Amino acid sequence: MSDTPRVQRPPAERRYREELARLAAEDTAERPPGWALSLQAARRFILGDEAAGIRRKFVGDPSLIDRALVSLATNRGLMLVGEPGTAKSLLSELLAAAVSGNSTLTIQGGAATTEDQIKYSWNYALLVAEGPSRRSLVPAPLLRGMAEGTVVRFEEITRCPLEVQDCLLSPLSDRVLAVPELTGDDAMVFAREGFNIIATANTRDRGVNDMSSALKRRFNFETVFPIADLDTELSLVADEAGELLRRSGVAALPPRDLLEVLVLAFRELRTGQTARGDAMEQMSAVMSTAEAVSVAHAVGLRGWFLRGEPGNAADLVSCLAGTAAKDSPEDLARLRRYLEQQASWRTGEQWRALHAARHLLPG
Amino acid sequence: MGATFIGVRHHSPACARLVARVIERLRPAYVLVEGACDMNGRLDELLLDHELPVAIFTSYRDGQRWSASWAPFCAYSPEWVALTTGRAAGAQLRFIDLPAWHPALSQRSNRYADAEQRYSGAIERLCRTFTVDNVDALWDHLFEVPPDDDIEERLAAYFDLVRGESAAGPQDAAREAYMARWVAAAVADAGARPVVVVTGGFHRPALVRLAGRVAGGEPDAPGPVAPVALADLAGPAASRPAWPEVPGLPEGAAGGSYLVPYSFRRLDAFDGYQSGMPSPGYYQRLWEAGPQAAADGLVAAVVGRLRARHQVVSTADLVAARASAQALALVRGHRHTARVDVLDGLATALVGEALDVPLPWANRGALSAGTHPAIVEMVAVLSGDRAGRLHPATPLPPLVHDVQALLVRHELDGERRVTLRLRTAADLVRSRILHRLRVLEIPGCTRRSGPATGIDPVLAEEWHLCPDDTQLPAIIEAGGYGRVLDEAADAVLAERIADAEGDVERLAGALFDAALCGSGELSDQVLHDARRAVAAATAIGPVGRVLAVVLALWRHDDLLGTARSSTLAAVVEAAVRRILWLAEGVRGGAAPADRPRIEALVAVRDALVHAGPAVGLDRAAAIEVAARIAGAADAPPDLRGAAFGFGWSLGGRVEPVRAVRGAFAPASAGDWLAGLFALAREEVLAAGGVLDLLDDLLCAMGEQEFLIALPALRQAFAYFPPRERETIAERLLERRGVAGSGRALLRLPAAADLIAAGRALDDQVEAVLTREGLIRA
Repeated sequence: MSDTPRVQRPPAERRYREELARLAAEDTAERPPGWALSLQAARRFILGDEAAGIRRKFVGDPSLIDRALVSLATNRGLMLVGEPGTAKSLLSELLAAAVSGNSTLTIQGGAATTEDQIKYSWNYALLVAEGPSRRSLVPAPLLRGMAEGTVVRFEEITRCPLEVQDCLLSPLSDRVLAVPELTGDDAMVFAREGFNIIATANTRDRGVNDMSSALKRRFNFETVFPIADLDTELSLVADEAGELLRRSGVAALPPRDLLEVLVLAFRELRTGQTARGDAMEQMSAVMSTAEAVSVAHAVGLRGWFLRGEPGNAADLVSCLAGTAAKDSPEDLARLRRYLEQQASWRTGEQWRALHAARHLLPG
Repeated sequence: MGATFIGVRHHSPACARLVARVIERLRPAYVLVEGACDMNGRLDELLLDHELPVAIFTSYRDGQRWSASWAPFCAYSPEWVALTTGRAAGAQLRFIDLPAWHPALSQRSNRYADAEQRYSGAIERLCRTFTVDNVDALWDHLFEVPPDDDIEERLAAYFDLVRGESAAGPQDAAREAYMARWVAAAVADAGARPVVVVTGGFHRPALVRLAGRVAGGEPDAPGPVAPVALADLAGPAASRPAWPEVPGLPEGAAGGSYLVPYSFRRLDAFDGYQSGMPSPGYYQRLWEAGPQAAADGLVAAVVGRLRARHQVVSTADLVAARASAQALALVRGHRHTARVDVLDGLATALVGEALDVPLPWANRGALSAGTHPAIVEMVAVLSGDRAGRLHPATPLPPLVHDVQALLVRHELDGERRVTLRLRTAADLVRSRILHRLRVLEIPGCTRRSGPATGIDPVLAEEWHLCPDDTQLPAIIEAGGYGRVLDEAADAVLAERIADAEGDVERLAGALFDAALCGSGELSDQVLHDARRAVAAATAIGPVGRVLAVVLALWRHDDLLGTARSSTLAAVVEAAVRRILWLAEGVRGGAAPADRPRIEALVAVRDALVHAGPAVGLDRAAAIEVAARIAGAADAPPDLRGAAFGFGWSLGGRVEPVRAVRGAFAPASAGDWLAGLFALAREEVLAAGGVLDLLDDLLCAMGEQEFLIALPALRQAFAYFPPRERETIAERLLERRGVAGSGRALLRLPAAADLIAAGRALDDQVEAVLTREGLIRA
């Protein structure tokens, strides 16, 4: 964005300001109460509309977007679940930007997340000086979202302890938040039209903290899957990695057939099945599209800054160890076994190069 | 008048309604339908009062190729509606496409699968433009849900776009050229009366073009159902186009078509790769009662079914499902809730957890394992469970006659007990007939005894035959698989092999049945499926057992005639590769020896030795894998030992003495040795120094260590046959300079547990004496 040169990543409503404005201006369909756009316009914003010059921003089944938008228009929250790296957070940001024009009311879940960070806290100097009052209250995203009638995003909800998660129960079912420290009208904050919650959770985290069934009932679950189609995933990886490499000042991008090997290998390790049908053990590390992009980025950087040429299969092997296998010796062994036995039977120059470079895998 | 071309999607109610309207309006002289022209003489049989769905089944076999294909009809098939309304309107009916066995249809098992799937670029673009998941959602969006008003124009525009400028493949081109000749002949014959042509929409643009060319004029831009000017064709009688010839079966080929009952389950795209529209149960409802009633009925049926399965579906869920479905229809611009709206609404409301696999209606194709149970039920409801039934007057499929003739000719009819000696040719033929019936699950023939694994030396079989009332219906059903008995049995076996998917025991069962049925050489597709089944196996033991059996059949079996069969060779190759892959993945350190996995490596070694070059196995790669396993610290000891023995017995470079020393930890030595002895027994005996080293190491063990190692050691030495154990014993005596018989050494003077008990008593006495100060420790 030209107007914010120093911001690494502006929120979606700033990045796509013109598109949102155009969609709102042309929007003639009914809007659900409190929404910035109609369901149809929100759908076009996310899924794109070539004729109208609206970019497609999310690669996935259109029906997922339909269901998500409809869920947000109902009195249930929207829970996006899926493997890490399937663009859940991006989707939640886009949905919030489309529905409310604001995607920044975000709670990041974690082991140390407290109710204060979700609901509200106090300006303690004012609290001591004046006692509890609206002035000394510091609203957190949930309170603001309810008061302003906007969508609140709750990232990684299952990383929060169960009792902290459950503070969402009454805002979701009764659409009201009590502030017992205040009196009179201020003691109850009723949600305005347009308020809802989009939560995201990793399916890998199911063991960390589960959700209470009471809370589960208040959400509609939508599972976001890795990209089903090889060609789509390949173009996405090529585009994204190309963009990153250009920004990193790399002039020569890795060849397309190398990226194809990379994407195919990621897909096979992710699904535990080769293109030929051999069943394998799945990697415990996340082999997501996002990881594939970062490996492709790293391959390009290695090739360019170490040798001044495009990345090759040997770079790929070196990068795979660090980015894909991380610190797990089991994953490293799986990767080695894959390179030894599953790369060997394929035809294609890059597969052969990959097999030949297998000894570069450390350990 | 000319021809009116209606391009349809097979099994589309909207198209069926259009076909009915057009035929009723035009009351044509001819109704031409895409379908096998060799069935034209049997239309009366097809139009008997069957319970739909039924299908025309065609089988074909010649020296090179075997194929089976179906042309299914249900109540809302445009082709069926064309035939029935056409007949009611007094039109002449003709099927105008090439016969199902024709090479132009050789790749197709369902005539009415979507042709445009073969040219998917345009469909993908359309899905992107209309932002829908796939062609089924697109079709509903464009045709099934909107009102029928201008459907002709929309259909024509859609199929023109799908067909685009792309040239059809040679197979489609051949069919279209042939169909165009029928059209020309019918138009000429009809004179001033109209002709209606109902074909897959994908073929329509080409037919319009071809018809224009036959008529001699430049093709105009084809209007929706505008009659194409073919009237000139009717001109001088001499140049009037003749009816095309119906191709006859090539010489030496066998084949035929007949009617079989079909079912919604088989019609459903979720159940097969080559189908047309999914969810026949839903579209049947839509055909009978309209889209809104179909959607409402669907929700009710799904909820009813889930509740019958004791799944909790609350009223709130039901309300949420309906509300979501309606909202989705609104967002997507649907006048009525469409199929995917209802499904999406139900999924939103009823699935309260993360899914393991995507929703089946988002990607076309078969249901994958791990689909949420509620989703499975939904799909089942949409699929419906209607099954067709043929009118009693329908001629019986040829399989029935074939089976009856075979049974009589080989004296297998009536109730009797039969003993077959498989070494005699006549009995082998009889055995194969009975096995084929067994494979087809025809009741009334039970085998009491006979070969069970293929490597047991059983040469006789005993059968009990008792035909009853259930036998004939079963054979009629089985008629769907083939025209004659061996063909039908082959088809069932092919299906079983395709279904085995990772379950190698089932695969082995199917392969052995194939051997018993005398189907030694199966088709390439079956080989492919068999390889896939092995490649998907997850446990090493079963693959090993299958490999051992299959290898034996491949090497020795001349009783059943499977020696050197290419089917078995393919399985051997796949199993070797799979075992090596799985073996390298076994991790987890010390674990008791696992005999099946050791046996699996033995089987791989045997395969390399006996079938290596003939089957195309890579010996060097296998030795490399074994070397890696042998050196992996976290592999279980038995597997490391076996891998070491594997390399040794195949002549890899090894240092046995060093390896034995390295592996000799008391807790795991026995397991390691078990692996080694299983694979390289002879090498151990032949190599100098290994036995001596073992003797030294064992003697150096403490009492406690020895007891820990003992059970595993016993298991390890059990791999030596008695004679070799005797040799070992003699060597040990020799080493100690004792003269005596090895055999005597192998026999303990008393039972082992008695000796152990005696020693324990000794220890106890000694402890007491020490405690009381009577002896010094």
